Amino acid sequence: MKRMLRNAILSSALLAAASVAVPAVAQDEAIYIPNLAYRTGPFAATGTPLMNGQRDYITLLNERDGGLNGVKLEYDECETGYNTEKGVECYEKTKARAVVTQPWSTGITLQVLPKSNVDKIPILAPGYGFSPMADGKVFQWAYNPPSSYWDGASMILKNISDGNLDSLKDKKIAFLHLDHPFGKEPLPLLEVLAEKHGFNLVPIPVGLTEMQNQSAQWLQIRRERPDFVVMWGWGAMNAGAITEAVKTKYPMDQFVGVWWSGHDGDLKLVGDQGKGYRSISWSVPNSEAPLMADIKKYVVDAGKSQINQSEGEFDSVFYQRGLMISVILVEGIKAAQEEFDVRNPSPEQLRWGLENIKLDEARLKELGAEGMLVPFSTSCADHTGHGGGWMLQWDGAKFVKASDLLTPDRTEIEKLEAEKAKEYAEANAPWPVNEECSM
Amino acid sequence: MFYRTAGQFKTSYQADHALFPVRQDAFLLGVILIFAFVIFPLTASEFTFRALLIPVLIYSLAALGLNILTGYAGQLSLGTGAFMGVGAYACYKLITIFPEMNIVVAIAMSGFFSAAIGVLFGLPSLRIKGFYLAIATLAAQFFLVWLFQKWAWLYNYNASGAIQVPNIEMFGITVAGPRATAITQYYFVLCVVCVITFFAINITRGRIGRMWKAVRDMDIAAELVGINLMRSKLMAFFVSSYVVGIAGALFVFLWRGAAEANLFDIPLSFRVLFIAIIGGLGSILGNFLGAILIVALPVIIGSVPQAFGIPLDSAMVEHLNIMIIGALIIAFLIIEPHGLARFWAMIREKFILWPFPH
Repeated sequence: MKRMLRNAILSSALLAAASVAVPAVAQDEAIYIPNLAYRTGPFAATGTPLMNGQRDYITLLNERDGGLNGVKLEYDECETGYNTEKGVECYEKTKARAVVTQPWSTGITLQVLPKSNVDKIPILAPGYGFSPMADGKVFQWAYNPPSSYWDGASMILKNISDGNLDSLKDKKIAFLHLDHPFGKEPLPLLEVLAEKHGFNLVPIPVGLTEMQNQSAQWLQIRRERPDFVVMWGWGAMNAGAITEAVKTKYPMDQFVGVWWSGHDGDLKLVGDQGKGYRSISWSVPNSEAPLMADIKKYVVDAGKSQINQSEGEFDSVFYQRGLMISVILVEGIKAAQEEFDVRNPSPEQLRWGLENIKLDEARLKELGAEGMLVPFSTSCADHTGHGGGWMLQWDGAKFVKASDLLTPDRTEIEKLEAEKAKEYAEANAPWPVNEECSM
Repeated sequence: MFYRTAGQFKTSYQADHALFPVRQDAFLLGVILIFAFVIFPLTASEFTFRALLIPVLIYSLAALGLNILTGYAGQLSLGTGAFMGVGAYACYKLITIFPEMNIVVAIAMSGFFSAAIGVLFGLPSLRIKGFYLAIATLAAQFFLVWLFQKWAWLYNYNASGAIQVPNIEMFGITVAGPRATAITQYYFVLCVVCVITFFAINITRGRIGRMWKAVRDMDIAAELVGINLMRSKLMAFFVSSYVVGIAGALFVFLWRGAAEANLFDIPLSFRVLFIAIIGGLGSILGNFLGAILIVALPVIIGSVPQAFGIPLDSAMVEHLNIMIIGALIIAFLIIEPHGLARFWAMIREKFILWPFPH
């Protein structure tokens, strides 16, 4: 009897849980934007400012403009802790009403990507995820604007070689990366480029368990004496690498990271000693921009933000990048609204919208975010936009822009993208390919 | 009253050794199976399938495998996650090398791979015991995860180092991969779990199970009464790793859809070990109760604030969740140190006497 009772309790709990997943019709007027956020776990330090940025831009639109074209935006977070298992749970929980999936981890992206063709919800992974997602013919539902990891790797090499990759011949480049799908992502391209331009690539993986203690990796770097260290790090790994680099007195101006390795908090730990460290980035913080003034007025000063003001989070690269990520998404929604003349676009319509984002300099200026994001536009065949990026350099107290707009060298990347996209489609057959769009 | 055993007479040895000597137990099991096979599938949403039912079943199976080794044969293992990984990678290789192979065959065969690896890492158990053996299996954990990362052949040289489940059909129905519906996957997992549980119950209460228990309780005594220690220990490793390997294959193929090596790292081993310990070592039912507590309860608690419209941040919900589950685990272990299965057994005893306790 007791067990029956327990069964009854359990099944009613399951039913309660099931009813959560059913869309609440009353709220459907608002556009529901879920975010698979992580404010807990080992990556929380880098995740939190990004999530705050995403959240605050949506809040700004709701507070200042009453939503988007008069429709409120409902921003909702589902906590994953960067855990792929929680990611699946969150995806299932939110997908009934979601217009978009923001998976926020390469591992979760890999899990939801195959489902995108079945569930027909676009995946927006700005600056992360699987690089071949740029191929819109194969990955009809996935977007990674404005630059993919392969673009990033190409831009870093271009910048450290002053535009001529052949000058890297016989130089040694250590590739310090997280031993995880995210960190391995640029390896195929780097290997191709190393072969082509004759530089010596030394991949140095950092396991998830050794992120905070990288003495073995830096011992290897000290022994190998590479001319450059390129880092694909995330979360606690960044701080670990930067403090180790300071400890081993590795010249900071030869140390370059991807955009996720340019977190103010990590560099503040070493302050002046980190001077010269560079990170490629497709967004630049500019606290003087009109958009930031509005954020301050409508969101931060109104007490609607969760940012940590005493730590200078408002001025940080990651917070402002979070804002830009929401800018990209909202541009997509807006394009869909206007094209289909609907207030609340369906996921299918948003897919069209994300394919037709035009964030040129004029539009960015209109938004009050001039120079904060690389200008780019997407198309049916190009889901990344390949807007390029800038080098940011740590000046001892903050990141400053240290280069003109860099663009990736696309010849090798395109070949690789086509090859890997084809491989993916074959491995996941039957995989529908959109033949309608032309390159 | 409900659990009265009076009047249920056994007239043969066979009846006395039946799986359910008490009629009400069989009735309860019937009710649970009706819930599992009919009522849940009729009422559950996709979220319920994918976030509650399927993971609970798969984790129960993994814990069952571990429980055979640790609970019945007394060999502590910290390598469960890696053995699950062996099952998953073996199944992936089988499916990609022989695409026409039936997935049931592939999953059944992948169990043998992990069983072989399990026996290999079980060899030290002949010389070392207890915590020392745990350290040896921990070595398996580290070595195998390292191997999953470094041996690119295992993941077909995929750039991201992850394995991805293709669409797999069985008799015209897609059972695995992105196109599979949640309900087919649920039934698939449920059937596999039921079959394996049935065999596990019978193995553990038969001759082999008694052999294991004898080894667990005192191996020198067991050896003196003529039990071959090497055979019984290695058999425990074999059977346990086989079940764990199948759980691993189901874990990736019928639930996750994609996996990277880190997934099989030590947190997974600990999670399965916690399920087995909290559920109750040396019991089959305990694995299911433990999995419900560790896997399903956080999901249910996590959706409570939303269901009642309480405005709480998802990060805050997560923190509360961790605290509540932690408190519950401690509370259950204080109430009954031998796990939830023992807790249920005590309740059942009380029910048999009720309403006239001594």
